[in-house]
Amino acid sequence: MQDIQHYVLFPNHDNAMRLYRELKKLGVRAVIAPTPRSASKCCGVSLMVEENDLGQIKETAEEKEIEILKIAEVEKDFNPRRDRYC
Amino acid sequence: MADNHKMWEELGMNLELHDQLCAVLPQAVGDVFLTQENRPEGMDYYDMVVADIHGIRPSELIAHQEKGGKVFGTFCVYVPDEVIFAAGAIATGLCGGSQFWVPGGEKVLPTNTCPLIKASVGARLDRTCPFFRIADMYIGETTCDGKKKAWEILAEDVPVHVMDLPQMKRAKDVKAWAEEIAALKNAVEEFTGNKVTAENLAESIKLINHKRKALARLYECRKSETVPISGTDALVISQIAFYDDPARFAQMTNKLCDELEKRIADGVSVAPAGTKRIMLTGTPLAIPNWKLHNIVETSGAVVVCEEMCTGTRYFERYVDETKETVEDQIDAIAERYMGINCACFTPNHARIDDIIRLAKEYKVDGIIDVNLKFCSLYDTEGYFVERALKEEGIPVLGIETDYTDSDAQQLRTRVSAFVEMLNN
Repeated sequence: MQDIQHYVLFPNHDNAMRLYRELKKLGVRAVIAPTPRSASKCCGVSLMVEENDLGQIKETAEEKEIEILKIAEVEKDFNPRRDRYC
Repeated sequence: MADNHKMWEELGMNLELHDQLCAVLPQAVGDVFLTQENRPEGMDYYDMVVADIHGIRPSELIAHQEKGGKVFGTFCVYVPDEVIFAAGAIATGLCGGSQFWVPGGEKVLPTNTCPLIKASVGARLDRTCPFFRIADMYIGETTCDGKKKAWEILAEDVPVHVMDLPQMKRAKDVKAWAEEIAALKNAVEEFTGNKVTAENLAESIKLINHKRKALARLYECRKSETVPISGTDALVISQIAFYDDPARFAQMTNKLCDELEKRIADGVSVAPAGTKRIMLTGTPLAIPNWKLHNIVETSGAVVVCEEMCTGTRYFERYVDETKETVEDQIDAIAERYMGINCACFTPNHARIDDIIRLAKEYKVDGIIDVNLKFCSLYDTEGYFVERALKEEGIPVLGIETDYTDSDAQQLRTRVSAFVEMLNN
């Protein structure tokens, strides 16, 4: 079974950072990341989150009126020795 | 995210070509940054900036222009931001650190031009960098022959003001640089319609010094035996310093330093005790050039200092804040900037002294003297650098590279062997 990483996508970075700060207060792990190509064609800020936290993340976004575009599932594929720079 | 595309379209960017860069950035950021363990929480701000590097700051610059403000694009640490900000304008760095932009530059420049210049010209001419599209005027300088000719090419497309940097450091050269700064002031005043006064110049001197102090504090943390932040993270902070709002950048960097100082007090390190400490010296590493740092830090060592334009040359020493007339302030600015030791000067013994001093301050175990391909100034000066380090008994590895990935495996082999040698 593939390792899957979940990304929360937003219409802009303001929404991403608002949710990031709320999740931090709640002790929910989220990592700021560029939106992966396979999830969207646009450059932009997204949050890498754990699958187990998705329910709480959606609830928090709704409660705080933070707009989410979608939650994308992407194969985990980071490799520090890949040596493919941009 | 959709807003970015609209903004880029309105800037006249080549969306199809730019999209190729957007496609590779997330993977590179993931590989280089998101695989690191135990990163400081305060990196979240810089992660946000990088994640939307062509969206967030460009939109702020455009908002400034919509209010009648001007934006000046700069390429070099010798260009005094103080003068630009004093006139109510914004100075920003420009694109130049990716192989993605190099072929565009090679359409008009000789192939044996350094990748930094080729990438910069390519980013402008191929319309794939929002900063190059936004800047109303570019401020060039005469730090190398390649750049001098590049300004002429860019000037056919955009207004360019070139500052003539002296190549020696006699008293008359410092005076000549002060005259060039006065000429820049006149050019900026004419372009913006705003006068540079003793009051607004004093304010911007403090603003830019404040940013330098934040970076100095970050680097002070890196001197600690406990390594509170990776070299790769510190590098991206230095790179972002060229683009970000100076006040916000200083605020966020100071906030990060609060955390780093606590990490040092608590003994929280990103590298195991005994990890060999490396300093890089040489040509600048413009964003998103993270190749060498990533290779070093995934080869069992940690980068603790960069004697580079994207490093100590950018923030060391401050402009005297006590001067009360514009003329005296300009002299003080000239003094500070002429104290930067770039390989374009002759002689340049002070740079060798800097490297040896920094090696001691940062307790480095070894130095990598890195030279961007076709930069004959730094390449030639490498002879003196490496000789002086050998005399001091500091192990040194000389590397020449560019922005391509093709030499990465070879670099890994050489860096690994160097680290292994340090470990034995």
